[in-house]
Amino acid sequence: MGEDFISYELKEFKLFEPLFRWARKKSIWLVAFCTGCGGIEMPPLFTARYDIERFGMMPNPSPRMADLFLITGYVTPKTLKRIIITYEMMPDPKYILAHGSCPINGGVYWDSYNVVKQLDKYIPIDVAIAGCMPRPEAVMDGIQEIMRKIESGEADGWKRYRENYEWYRKNQDELFGEGWREKDAKRWLAWL
Amino acid sequence: MAVNDNKVENKVETVEKAEEKKPELPNTKEGRLVKELLEKAPYAEGSVRREKRIEFKVPAERIHEFLELASERFEMLMQISVVDWLKENQFELVYQLWSVSESVHAFVRTRVPRENAEVPTAMDIWPVAETYEREAHEFFGINFKGNPRLGPFILEPREYEKHPLRKDFNTLSYVKTIYGDDFDRYDESKTNYVI
Ligand code: SF4
Repeated sequence: MGEDFISYELKEFKLFEPLFRWARKKSIWLVAFCTGCGGIEMPPLFTARYDIERFGMMPNPSPRMADLFLITGYVTPKTLKRIIITYEMMPDPKYILAHGSCPINGGVYWDSYNVVKQLDKYIPIDVAIAGCMPRPEAVMDGIQEIMRKIESGEADGWKRYRENYEWYRKNQDELFGEGWREKDAKRWLAWL
Repeated sequence: MAVNDNKVENKVETVEKAEEKKPELPNTKEGRLVKELLEKAPYAEGSVRREKRIEFKVPAERIHEFLELASERFEMLMQISVVDWLKENQFELVYQLWSVSESVHAFVRTRVPRENAEVPTAMDIWPVAETYEREAHEFFGINFKGNPRLGPFILEPREYEKHPLRKDFNTLSYVKTIYGDDFDRYDESKTNYVI
């Protein structure tokens, strides 16, 4: 029984899950994809002043090796297409941190024809930071929050995305029109 | 302070009045530039706004001719901006020119009717005009005759049809239909107003 039990636990990542969670929390790589005004906070965040590398985080240009996606501000339908594709390229588990009031409800662009209101309808957000724009301290606070959530297992956006994929897909198709992946995304991602 | 302000205002007024009476232009490089251009193009109106800033009003039929003349002194086209005068039912096109040799910024304004607005392209004078014309076409629906690349450019196709920067474009109803109206921001009674 003993051997079976261990191999089962290993397969399901139950036994070492706390260790893995701790390791994930301590080694977040983030996608450096500045989507709005909030991108201007990323340089001080990464460099000497606020130096987030001391949390074990690293800005990383490749979504294939990243865990955390910073949505730094307002999102237009055109950017959202890229965001969704980038998000789907990231390996599980993956987390999203949304900066500012724009991803939450449109912010100051709430009646603008080209800014997506309520980003949460199209991709799952784990932590949202309110404010316009949030200071790097607030972003670091959000990062601490997401670390806490990773360790406790509350950051389950990637699971929600999988389980409710139909719903997210429906919302995306409503906004972009059916077949946008074939029409638009194929132009910049040949393998889609 | 107040007294000083008044004085300044008075001064400005007197200057303007003087200009109105006799359209003689100040003897500065800006004034000389305006004079030189107006001699060649008597159909235009010209004035000096302030240092380094001059302004022309040109009828739409002769805008291409005027821009061609102006391009001798103004080597650079910086922007074509459009103003939508809804009540007057007109679009105002503002060609912003920069003279590299004189360091003077010129506004060339012209007005066209809003329906089927059409202007000759300035691409043959400044090739960079292509981009600005495509933008003006996309956001306001102005046709630039002779520009081969007019069409959807920056916007999504459904926005391109509507020309979203026109003043009669109803942003809020557009937003409600495209993004859904299930947000408390759109609560008409404003009991849950968020902003
Ligand atoms: S919340 Fe403010 S700072 Fe952030 S993207 Fe919106 S407008 Fe820009």
